[in-house]
Amino acid sequence: MTTSLVHDFDACARQTPDAPALSWHGGVWTYAELRRAVGCAQGMLVRSGITPGSRVALFVRNSPQYVASYFGVMAAGCVAVPLNVQERATVLSRQIEHADCRVVIADPQHPEWGALSAAISNIVSLIVTVDLQPGSAGCDQFCSAMGEAQPELRDLATAAPAMMIYTSGTTARPKGVVLSNGNLVANARTIAAYLKIDRSDKVLCGLPFHFSYGSSVLNSNLIAGAQLLLEDNFAFPQQTLRRMQDERVTGFPGVPSTFALLLGRCQLSDFDLSHLRYITQAGGSMPRAQIEKLRQQLPHTQVFIMYGQTEATARLSYLDPTELERKLGSVGKPLAGVEIQVRAEGRVLPAGEVGEICARGPNVMLGYWRQPELSAQVLQEGWLHTGDLGHFDDEGFLYIDGRAVDMIKVGAFRVSPQEVEEVLATFPGVQEVAVAGIPDPVLGQAIKAVIVLREGVPADLMGVKAHCRQHLANYKVPKTVEFAAALPRTASGKVQRFKLAQLN
Amino acid sequence: MTDALREQVRAFILENYLFTDDKSALGLDDSLLERGIVDSTGMLEIIFFIEEQLGVKVKDEEMIPDNLDGVNKIAAFVQSKRQAA
Repeated sequence: MTTSLVHDFDACARQTPDAPALSWHGGVWTYAELRRAVGCAQGMLVRSGITPGSRVALFVRNSPQYVASYFGVMAAGCVAVPLNVQERATVLSRQIEHADCRVVIADPQHPEWGALSAAISNIVSLIVTVDLQPGSAGCDQFCSAMGEAQPELRDLATAAPAMMIYTSGTTARPKGVVLSNGNLVANARTIAAYLKIDRSDKVLCGLPFHFSYGSSVLNSNLIAGAQLLLEDNFAFPQQTLRRMQDERVTGFPGVPSTFALLLGRCQLSDFDLSHLRYITQAGGSMPRAQIEKLRQQLPHTQVFIMYGQTEATARLSYLDPTELERKLGSVGKPLAGVEIQVRAEGRVLPAGEVGEICARGPNVMLGYWRQPELSAQVLQEGWLHTGDLGHFDDEGFLYIDGRAVDMIKVGAFRVSPQEVEEVLATFPGVQEVAVAGIPDPVLGQAIKAVIVLREGVPADLMGVKAHCRQHLANYKVPKTVEFAAALPRTASGKVQRFKLAQLN
Repeated sequence: MTDALREQVRAFILENYLFTDDKSALGLDDSLLERGIVDSTGMLEIIFFIEEQLGVKVKDEEMIPDNLDGVNKIAAFVQSKRQAA
């Protein structure tokens, strides 16, 4: 029997065709409409002669059209490569080239599309643009753009690649995490099971689908018959909370910065959120005070603290809400079917000792795209080496103690300091540069850059930031830039990133 | 609404999010969110700017796009709050 997300979604859509699947900008797509649009996207690829296994880039923000394209690509046996819509054209065109994408499905209204389409015109063989309109009219338009023919859903190999997510890498070492049909469906089913998602659920999602957390929310809800309400951003928390109240939302996934934004200026108790059955939090550790505030303001709502990474499709562990108070600070126990060990120097460590978190299970990626050495480093004998440090307590609850590798966590985004340094190094007059994370009350961490200029070069703060903005996604632009005479280094000459935060 | 207020708002956004003093980079009616100039946390910083630099308290229920998503909107909102004070 074929196991894939698309097959699970298809079965669900056949059972409840008239149920609402996606709500966005005041319009709704039912399961039947979404199923039809998925079939049309699949048909377009098959008709165009795109062979199974081909990579198809998606440059479409969260919208019903994204979902239809995403499932349609997988239904055709191709590999969906969702692009970060906050990224710049230079980075995206490199990813499209690296992934060897033959097709790009894009939103032509995106501000970056002009530059991106020019950069990839010689790389890809087919560009399909989709207009993002809400509601049934948007569905009709999407189907018409794809062509109405809907082929039968084909068998898909469980082990075949279905999705590739670019995660924090550098120009020299782009990290495209390749996930199989089996990876995606295993993780989505497990998540849907422990969150007890069913057809009565209405989940408000503002997490971007091109990252693993948002993608897992999408997958786990649409194979369980729930309704997803898409929210573009949390810039206006009052509006978000009112929507949750008016729509009687039952589930709400967020990252620490989401909750910082919602709790920072609003009293959740001012809204009737009595239907809110659960909240999930992943994407980095949330301060205990914030978890306690959530518990106080939403005493009837279950709070799931979760841990995972893209290389494990999304989720590795979660803390059962009944244990939240007793085990505050823990990320819980491994998901069903997932094994986790804490290791150091090849040895499995006992409870209480800190080491690298390693995981094995049906959700562990196939590898990094065209990076055999990097893949071999993190996948050893079937175990994923996460690069995260942690320990178990004597009851088997996992705690995260940090990252084994330098990585800055800005909100939910992981930023490679090397990537930012590469861009800063190309600014005229920069002799050397180092980047590190510094504490930030809302985002958890913000990016700080320390620059050493060549002799006689005047400091141009605005110029440096403008250069970063031109080449990096907004969230990767350093919030703080300082100019120094030298970088802090060890005796052997290695830059001490932790000391950058202290420079002033 | 005064031109000075409008330009003060525009200068803040240009300096902190677009890193330029070229006024043509930001139209007075441009949506800050749709153009990707600020994100959710950037909007929070703009609210701090309004409260701390422009001296106008932003109530929770006033945090809506009509008041905050653009230079003209911010300036009109601040102006009306000052007049009401």
